[in-house]
Amino acid sequence: MELDRVSKVYVVGAVRAEVLKGLSIRVEPGEYVAVTGASGSGKSTLLNIMGCLDVPTSGSYRLRGEEVARKHDAELARIRNRTFGFVFQSFHLLGRYSAAENVALPMIYHGTPRRARIEKAKTLLARVGLEGFANHRPSELSGGMQQRVAIARALANDPAVLFADEPTGNLDSKTGLEIIELFGRLHAEGATLVVVSHDQRVAQHARRVVTLEDGRILDDHRNASISTGAPTR
Amino acid sequence: MTPLEYLRVSLEALASNPIRSLLTMLGVIIGVASVIMLVSIGEGAKSYIRSELMGIGSNLLVINPGKTETTGMMHPPSGVHKLTLDDLRAIEKRATALVGATPLVVSSAPVKFENRTRDVIVIGTDDKFQDIRNLHVEIGSFLTPADVEARRKVAVIGRTVKKELFRDANPLGESLKIGDAPFRVIGIMEKKGMTLGFDIDDLVFIPVETAQELFDQDGITEILAQVVNENEIDRAKEQIRRTLIRRHAGEEDFSIVTQQAMLSTAQGILNTFTYVLGGIASISLLVGGIGIMNIMLVSVRERTREIGLRKAVGASERDILIQFVIESVTLSVIGGLIGIGLGAGIAYGARAAFPVIPVAVTAWSIVTAFAFALLVGVFFGIYPAMKAARLNPIDALRYE
Repeated sequence: MELDRVSKVYVVGAVRAEVLKGLSIRVEPGEYVAVTGASGSGKSTLLNIMGCLDVPTSGSYRLRGEEVARKHDAELARIRNRTFGFVFQSFHLLGRYSAAENVALPMIYHGTPRRARIEKAKTLLARVGLEGFANHRPSELSGGMQQRVAIARALANDPAVLFADEPTGNLDSKTGLEIIELFGRLHAEGATLVVVSHDQRVAQHARRVVTLEDGRILDDHRNASISTGAPTR
Repeated sequence: MTPLEYLRVSLEALASNPIRSLLTMLGVIIGVASVIMLVSIGEGAKSYIRSELMGIGSNLLVINPGKTETTGMMHPPSGVHKLTLDDLRAIEKRATALVGATPLVVSSAPVKFENRTRDVIVIGTDDKFQDIRNLHVEIGSFLTPADVEARRKVAVIGRTVKKELFRDANPLGESLKIGDAPFRVIGIMEKKGMTLGFDIDDLVFIPVETAQELFDQDGITEILAQVVNENEIDRAKEQIRRTLIRRHAGEEDFSIVTQQAMLSTAQGILNTFTYVLGGIASISLLVGGIGIMNIMLVSVRERTREIGLRKAVGASERDILIQFVIESVTLSVIGGLIGIGLGAGIAYGARAAFPVIPVAVTAWSIVTAFAFALLVGVFFGIYPAMKAARLNPIDALRYE
């Protein structure tokens, strides 16, 4: 994953806001990157562009050597479906579906048959520590559990990269830590993670911390001292 | 995604709000049901008119005095030249394409038996009337050539006349008075009932020249002629026309209307009637479609976050578009099917309740109404679906 002098400009009415200002970054497979910075520093926008939810105004984004800007909607949808997994601050679970059906959602667009989807969804729920909750509706689960369901959903199509935007933002400190530990375990199992957060604990657990300020990279360092990221339980 | 998966996702969404789905469908249900119902009534009226008009005999020509358009059904006689019995005889002689022709002198008169009186239409005709007009005597005998020739005062009465004047008594051989003249009853017609709103059983038949004397007329009201077969109709018409023009000093002061012309006139009117009714009903179907569009727009707005999420986990614009179009088409198709059932049900119910109103549910009205409903679903679904498909995933996810 390689971004080269990427900028992003939002135009709302007459106001022109340059959120990213010629930012370049490279993420290798197997990395665990935390992106931090103050509000409005452009970290969410960076994540959205990396995750192909948004397109840069200028600059180049190459994914596995291929230029993303030239791809059309169906190809981008395919990348979001198979290459990436997303975890959002507010979970974004569909209330009328069970936990397993929520997890299975990306697999619908992958073309996985229904029975196989539900089977795999149950396996994934077990992997995030929610064995036996497959038939619960999101409203019957706690915030931490809902975020685990969302993480299981992000893992549905075995993505190459897992993106998370403030995954602990809507959780209390204890359950937030559980989610951070879950990320650590996933990384230990080989996942590539890019996590946007101003939660200091996320930065502590990540192997690499990128700090943004005003649309530019302020700091990019590797954590040497950090824990293994292995499960603490 | 397979078509089945799209259908499943769409049905789940509709099922999650059943009341709203049903109410949305209601517009289409009412639209389709009224199209089916009204077209069925129109079609029923058409087949009713057809059978009634064909029931009066086959391959008939009606010759009236006075010139009208060939397809006209009613017209005031202009009275330039009356039709006469001599005209009839000339036609019988010269028009070789005819099976026969019979005169009609039509008037109304009070008919009296003992102390009961009834105003009845009296028809002066001859022995050929029975076969040409397809109206037969049931009891006794019809007017015989001898009766006609001798201008006898004999009468053949319809069922209603018999019932009203004679009750249960046997009228054969009895004497009744038409106006002031005494007539002997020689026959009773078979029961025919109403034809085109006209009571065929409320008639009295007497010999044609007897009628002319009775009503002081020297002309005849019309001539009814039967052509040998359908292919000879035009030739028969031309033969009659030439014969009469020659007899009427070169003037075409009469008109010849074929049974087919009467039928097509009536059917033409009823077709217009059916199309107008169907058209009005289609407007309600259109309104139903607008209802679908309205609800789909609301639904897209409500489910903005869901759409954003689906896009984030890999749904393409096409996937979202198809999902929403299927939702609206499902609403219109299910609504259409219920509407067909309802419309046909009401139509058959109406036929059972009022056998006088002839109702025929036709395949073409069902197919047209259903196709129209389907089209409405696609047409009014495409705009909301496009709106959904084009949502930017990030904005959609942030939507509150």
